[in-house]
Amino acid sequence: MANQLVEVADDQGNLTGKQTIESAMSYQDLNAMINLWGADQKLQLEKDKLAVRKYFLDHVNQNTVFFHSLEERLDYLVENDYYEKEVLDQYSFAFIEKLEKLAYSKKFRFEAFMGAYKFYTGYALKTFDGTRYLERFEDRVVMVALTLAAGDEDMAIHMVEEIISGRFQPATPTFLNCGKKQRGEFVSCFLLRIEDNMESISRGINSALQLSKRGGGVALSLSNVREYGAPIKKIEGQSSGIIPVMKLLEDSFSYANQLGARQGAGAVYLNAHHPDIMRFLDTKRENADEKIRIKTLSIGVVVPDITLELAKNGEDMYLFSPYDVEKVYGVPFGDISVTEKYNEMVDDPRIRKSKIKARELFERIAELQFESGYPYVMYEDTVNAANPIQGRINMSNLCSEILQVNTPTTYNADLSYDDIGKDISCNLGSMNIAMAMDGGDLGLTVETSIRALTAVSDMSNIESVRSISDGNHKSHAIGLGQMNLHGYLAREKVHYGSEESIDFTNIYFYTVLFHALKASNKIAIERKSHFHNFENSKYASGEFFDKYTDQVWAPTTEKAKELFAKANVAIPSQEDWRELKASVMKHGIYNQNLQAVPPTGSISYINNSTSSIHPIASRVEVRKEGKLGRVYYPAPFLNEETWEYYEDAYEVGPDKIIDVYAAATQHVDQGLSLTLFFKDTATTRDVNRAQIYAWKKGIKTIYYIRIRQAALEGTEVENCVSCML
Amino acid sequence: MATKLITRPINWNKIEDSVDLDVWNRLTQNFWLPEKVPISNDVQSWGNLRPHEQKLTMHVFTGLTMLDTIQGTVGSMSLMPDARTPHEEAVITNIAFMESVHAKSYSSVFSTLCSTNDIDEAFRWSEDNPYLQKKAEIILGYYRGDDPLKRKVASTLLESFLFYSGFYLPMYWSSRAKLTNTADLIRLIIRDEAIHGYYIGYKFQLGYNESSTARQEELKSYTYDLLLELYENEVKYTADLYDEIGLTHDVKQFLHYNGNKALMNLGFDPLFPKDDCQVSPAILSALSPASDENHDFFSGSGSSYVIGKHEATTDDDWNF
Repeated sequence: MANQLVEVADDQGNLTGKQTIESAMSYQDLNAMINLWGADQKLQLEKDKLAVRKYFLDHVNQNTVFFHSLEERLDYLVENDYYEKEVLDQYSFAFIEKLEKLAYSKKFRFEAFMGAYKFYTGYALKTFDGTRYLERFEDRVVMVALTLAAGDEDMAIHMVEEIISGRFQPATPTFLNCGKKQRGEFVSCFLLRIEDNMESISRGINSALQLSKRGGGVALSLSNVREYGAPIKKIEGQSSGIIPVMKLLEDSFSYANQLGARQGAGAVYLNAHHPDIMRFLDTKRENADEKIRIKTLSIGVVVPDITLELAKNGEDMYLFSPYDVEKVYGVPFGDISVTEKYNEMVDDPRIRKSKIKARELFERIAELQFESGYPYVMYEDTVNAANPIQGRINMSNLCSEILQVNTPTTYNADLSYDDIGKDISCNLGSMNIAMAMDGGDLGLTVETSIRALTAVSDMSNIESVRSISDGNHKSHAIGLGQMNLHGYLAREKVHYGSEESIDFTNIYFYTVLFHALKASNKIAIERKSHFHNFENSKYASGEFFDKYTDQVWAPTTEKAKELFAKANVAIPSQEDWRELKASVMKHGIYNQNLQAVPPTGSISYINNSTSSIHPIASRVEVRKEGKLGRVYYPAPFLNEETWEYYEDAYEVGPDKIIDVYAAATQHVDQGLSLTLFFKDTATTRDVNRAQIYAWKKGIKTIYYIRIRQAALEGTEVENCVSCML
Repeated sequence: MATKLITRPINWNKIEDSVDLDVWNRLTQNFWLPEKVPISNDVQSWGNLRPHEQKLTMHVFTGLTMLDTIQGTVGSMSLMPDARTPHEEAVITNIAFMESVHAKSYSSVFSTLCSTNDIDEAFRWSEDNPYLQKKAEIILGYYRGDDPLKRKVASTLLESFLFYSGFYLPMYWSSRAKLTNTADLIRLIIRDEAIHGYYIGYKFQLGYNESSTARQEELKSYTYDLLLELYENEVKYTADLYDEIGLTHDVKQFLHYNGNKALMNLGFDPLFPKDDCQVSPAILSALSPASDENHDFFSGSGSSYVIGKHEATTDDDWNF
């Protein structure tokens, strides 16, 4: 094999010398080498940098369309229907040129092969035949900023600064689609109610198709739908329950798969006290009959406090017919607090009921989580107690971080709308904690992020589902997330789950909340407008602020104090909160919801972050995605020194993860995707204990359960980094 | 009258060799069926392979089907009479059954991705291919022999060595983002085969260590001879399959790597020098049997799949 000289760049992108690598080594091979120990038994991290370099040399540069000037490039892209003319027309050419220069002056470099590969395969604008690239990372960032700033030059500059520095990263649908003429929606997360009638069920399926076609992930609540064997038109034993509805939904999602680009994704939620609950869970059994087996639809269970109380006492739990409940109370089952009405419903002979052992339900849930990772769990009463908005939260979404109130829609006999209720959409974006702390102005980073997300909400209009677009126009709900917590902690030599890490997480989220509310309040003042029904929220009454004005929040450990001091991040005082409270009570806030912490997949690779606020799954992560094949991703800042601070999620264990999440949860109005990781020595009891602990600590939702199986000693691949346990 | 047969009931509470229990637990925990893997997600990817690549893939898979058929119906069964403990017998029944699951898995890949005509052609090819037939002949010959330790050697070489010229291709495709769900299924098979090879190799070593020096010498030279005999044929088989897409060199490196691995399972020194075992890192990494890969809900299900252990909660757990 002939050797070839390749220039090597350091972290700052400066060339540091030349190195030989076999020309026959492909970038895939180089990338895979980070998963194998080198000859000296050291990590071969530099091989990943070479893979990036090689990827650009062998692939990207050769397949990028060259333009002589920016003018030529933009003209071409607009004339050929690649870019949206309307976006560019809001600015002078001179400004766009300045913005491009600014972006390129930052000398952005992909830190990991995964990031570069993911960006070019998944995000960069390509020629219609899919063979050549029309954008580099900088160009994408500029188009996103130009789109979201909607003609505001200062805002566009801020956004470029925040995004290219990695401090803020819009979610995939926004980052992917902004400024493109042939594009999908900027928002991709939807939550729909289904009511107990055929019109609503069929509308739900229709909406699932429409939203999947646009690339959305859709969650639907089935809690209101009558159970198997319930009467139809008073004739007993007629209803087929919720399983056939799930089947229809699953097929709808796999049909609308965006030209095969990706599978439609859907989830359904069901209240634990719905009579079909066991059947619902059993659809995820590996050996379930094909007629009822649900392979690709995600499922979630809504668990009220009473269920845990009954389990605690080892009692039976009653399941209530939604059909009867709605008749008795005049509202759908999902809009009732089961905890509150439990005894009343048990005693009411008009409501037919069945019973199961409460502990068995939890054990069943844990068993299935072992087999399939599902169901998600939402602690209904915790969620509603923390909800500052009037109304009830009865479901979550595909990633279990969106928690908003909804109202039912009713239909006329011809299927037209009678009364359009409120369904939920959410647009997300995440801050990179390490970069945001380094940035020097956390308040500005948060404000710019909130404005970017608000712009997305303003621009989206899902006409095909009126309850969604109406809901969005009324609520302007957004979800600012966070990622790279573990990366930041490791870099600063703090163990994930330690007292210091919990202390830092608490005060970081506390500070972010302050700035997020302040930004939303600022927008309300500028626009003289607040979200619909602000008057009846705990923001308007001031009640929301009590815990911040009555209590001092400050770091308690030396390490956390040092981290905030070093980064020059001011921690809001009680006085600051009193001021903010007064302003919010007077002017309101623009966004009904502000924060939600998503699991961050793709964007954390591009952003060179660890996912969400989770611990890493592995120091070198093996990632499989349809478009990518197997790609290896080293944790950011991974080196000999940070190695020991990168304990993986299985070593960290569920309790510490819950502790860190609990610290963050108290400052987040919506939810946080929380995955729990277990070694394969765990039993269903360990999973149950973690669920109980999470509930006790005020966790709102649990996303996946992951079990890691270790390779049997003697069967590992030699020198494999990810096999090492 | 013939000698009286004493049937011993298997007592899992009295384990003579703890490896039996470990392996049993692992194998049962690993239990899977091909229906679990959403192969249909590869339909589009299959359509994007060029015709000769499709043909190659099908040939490789019929070759693998052949090996699993032998292993499931003859190979594992032939090890049964030699079992040292009743628990070993139980483990072998599991191995035999899983081999049949593997053989069936390839068929479910075929039926999902290919047309009946193509499938028939591929099976015809497997019957006509001299190297594949030779391979089967050699192994079957040893399975029918009367030396229990030699049967174990043959079995280990099959599990740890012969399969891999075939496994190479799906791993190669998956590192190029092709047929990734099929690769998941193959990885489940590899996960099983890794344990089978390890276990039978281990049982071989027990017998080997009890043997006289002369007998040990005999077994050792027998092993190397058999490996070389198989290797010679395997090289031709590899060239026959992979020459057209220019991967023969790489696959051979992979064969060397796995040949050494098989010897290691049997407790012998490697045969092929390290320089001839330079497997492409993408392939090596793709092989990792630990199911630690991450995937999201838009992708297939991945090769991680564990059946959980049930344990009831106690009152203490609910003490809040």
